[in-house]
Amino acid sequence: MPTVRLREAAEYPPEAQRLFELSKAWFNHDFGQPPAMSRVMAWDPEFGGPHGRAMKRAMSPGEFTRAEKEMVAAAVSGASACEY
Amino acid sequence: MTGDAVWYEAAQVVGITNALNVAADALGALGMVEEADAPPETRALFAEIRAFYESPEVPPAFRLIAHDPAYAADVWAAARRAYADNRLSRRVKEALAFAVSLTTRSGTGTTFHLGEMRRLGVGPRGIMEIVGVTQMFSSYTKIADTLQLEPDMGHLAPEDPTPAPGGPTR
Repeated sequence: MPTVRLREAAEYPPEAQRLFELSKAWFNHDFGQPPAMSRVMAWDPEFGGPHGRAMKRAMSPGEFTRAEKEMVAAAVSGASACEY
Repeated sequence: MTGDAVWYEAAQVVGITNALNVAADALGALGMVEEADAPPETRALFAEIRAFYESPEVPPAFRLIAHDPAYAADVWAAARRAYADNRLSRRVKEALAFAVSLTTRSGTGTTFHLGEMRRLGVGPRGIMEIVGVTQMFSSYTKIADTLQLEPDMGHLAPEDPTPAPGGPTR
């Protein structure tokens, strides 16, 4: 169980709603509620904003495709024993 | 990158990379097998490993476990299968091995797989891409763990209905 109460999307200010729309576009999936991590990162836009931009830059296609990078991300998560 | 087969391959790379890094990083006290003193089967094994990596050197992990030639041969057979071109390219597999080595703080593995990525044609930009993905997901995983977030994105990937290799369809 999370150590914090994850707020519903409606509890966030308008600028966070924009981040949720970007998240939806990034995953090309219409979530009922934004994923927990998106809501966590939207809590503090001064952290979540640049962190999200760095993630997007790292995950964008370059020498490696986005799919290949998603696989690397899954391997890193597995090696970190992170279930999320 | 659809279907389960590529994920099985990725998991093999992650597993065997960790196994080799464990030996390379922590087994130094055992001493490396010197080729000149090794029996013929070990010399043949080392020759095969050098050919695979197109390198005059045998990676330390194999020299450390070659005290038991039969064991080393089986570990190498599994490693060769895991790292060889298959559905995933060797280049992608080395990127996975590099990311996992970096994540698990294996200095030996990080250096080795960085070298392999470069040898297989990955440029400075590509290397920084993998560093970026590794760093960002090292951050996300720790944030998720600290807040004990529960998985909520597993349903994004469709289930692969195909059977195991050689098995009957269900």
